[in-house]
Amino acid sequence: MISLYLATPTWLHRIRVSYKLLALALISLVLIPLNSLWLWGAGLVLTFVLYGTLGGEALKQLISFRPILWSLLILLVLQWWLAGWHAGVLLVLRMSTLILLANAITLTSSMDDITEVMLWLLQPLKKLGLATELIAFAMSLCIRFIPLLIAILDHLIDAWKARGGGKQYWLVIAPMIIQSLVFSQHVADAINARGGIPKQ
Amino acid sequence: MRAQQSVLEQINLQLSERRIGIIGYNGSGKSSILRLLCGLMQPDSGTITVGEHCTSIGAKKLCRTIGLIFQNPDHQLIFPTVIEELSFGLRNIGYSKAEAIMASETILADYQRSHWRDKPVASLSEGQKQLLCILSILLMQPSTLLFDEPYSALDYPTRQQLAKVIANLDQQVIMVSHEPHTFAEFERVIWLADGKVQMDGQPTEVIRAYEANAEQRNHL
Repeated sequence: MISLYLATPTWLHRIRVSYKLLALALISLVLIPLNSLWLWGAGLVLTFVLYGTLGGEALKQLISFRPILWSLLILLVLQWWLAGWHAGVLLVLRMSTLILLANAITLTSSMDDITEVMLWLLQPLKKLGLATELIAFAMSLCIRFIPLLIAILDHLIDAWKARGGGKQYWLVIAPMIIQSLVFSQHVADAINARGGIPKQ
Repeated sequence: MRAQQSVLEQINLQLSERRIGIIGYNGSGKSSILRLLCGLMQPDSGTITVGEHCTSIGAKKLCRTIGLIFQNPDHQLIFPTVIEELSFGLRNIGYSKAEAIMASETILADYQRSHWRDKPVASLSEGQKQLLCILSILLMQPSTLLFDEPYSALDYPTRQQLAKVIANLDQQVIMVSHEPHTFAEFERVIWLADGKVQMDGQPTEVIRAYEANAEQRNHL
């Protein structure tokens, strides 16, 4: 399985997951009300610098963001049309900065540690009688599935191109859904074959 | 069931040998037998007993008795790092986090793979992933291991090494393959064709008959 996790330990691996998440939350809270393009542009540049300090492997991970660029482009055009270019550029800068920062946390945190923080955050719900370990497990599986779905999509697009498929890439959506469902069945089997979902 | 067609019919087997091979062409029902044995699939009629358990109790409860190593390691490995993958099953059967990690570290050390501990699973080679799959199942201490075409994605030297690892296991091994020579050293080979037992016996005889049959058939 492909992973959103960096092999070589970096300085960011050593910081506790709870601190990293808290830092992300604070950065978002402080920056989101601000509308300066310069400020957000600087934020994005600093985010790239952050990736630089994590090493070449982290920079390579940025390539897997290509599919997201398309959605950002669509958002940019829509926002430009609806609210002007300033709002469009601002939205794209904001989203890419925050997504990349969040991704830096995923890259440097083990799933177990993320699950632990989630369980801690979900404590109030547990008092209401909700099975919080199920929610936490589902969330960590979501994180695991993102790179996987991107890989399935990349393979399908390659297969499409290899047989001379045109620009109508949206035609791979149906096989994409089927393959994702098949894969989810494999994961369910794998979980069941090893005793089901963990009880914390 | 594959497209409303029954995959296996009238199978009545007692599997007690230490090394059992199940051989057959694609679609003969080989993998279905393994899924039935570990409780991932339930029979439409009849019963399957593994040790003292009926497989109707389901895969979750059978995982300490019988363990399945998936054909494609990427379908079995769920977690980003080796240590998480190994401790996952143990957490499910009641180990604390610390106990699960300790047991996982012990098995890595037993197999001289301690340096794998924090490696991302994605960075392992196909053969290494296969070994990780086996170790994560061994940790659950099942008495029987099921292998579904374990060598299909491996190059020759890796395949030989993995065969050695499997040969050295204390557990009962039931392995599925379409490739007859895999089972030369096994005690018993069962040949499945169209969901029925075609032949059952010593490897030499079954393999010879299977090869002769494969020569005659034109599958393309």
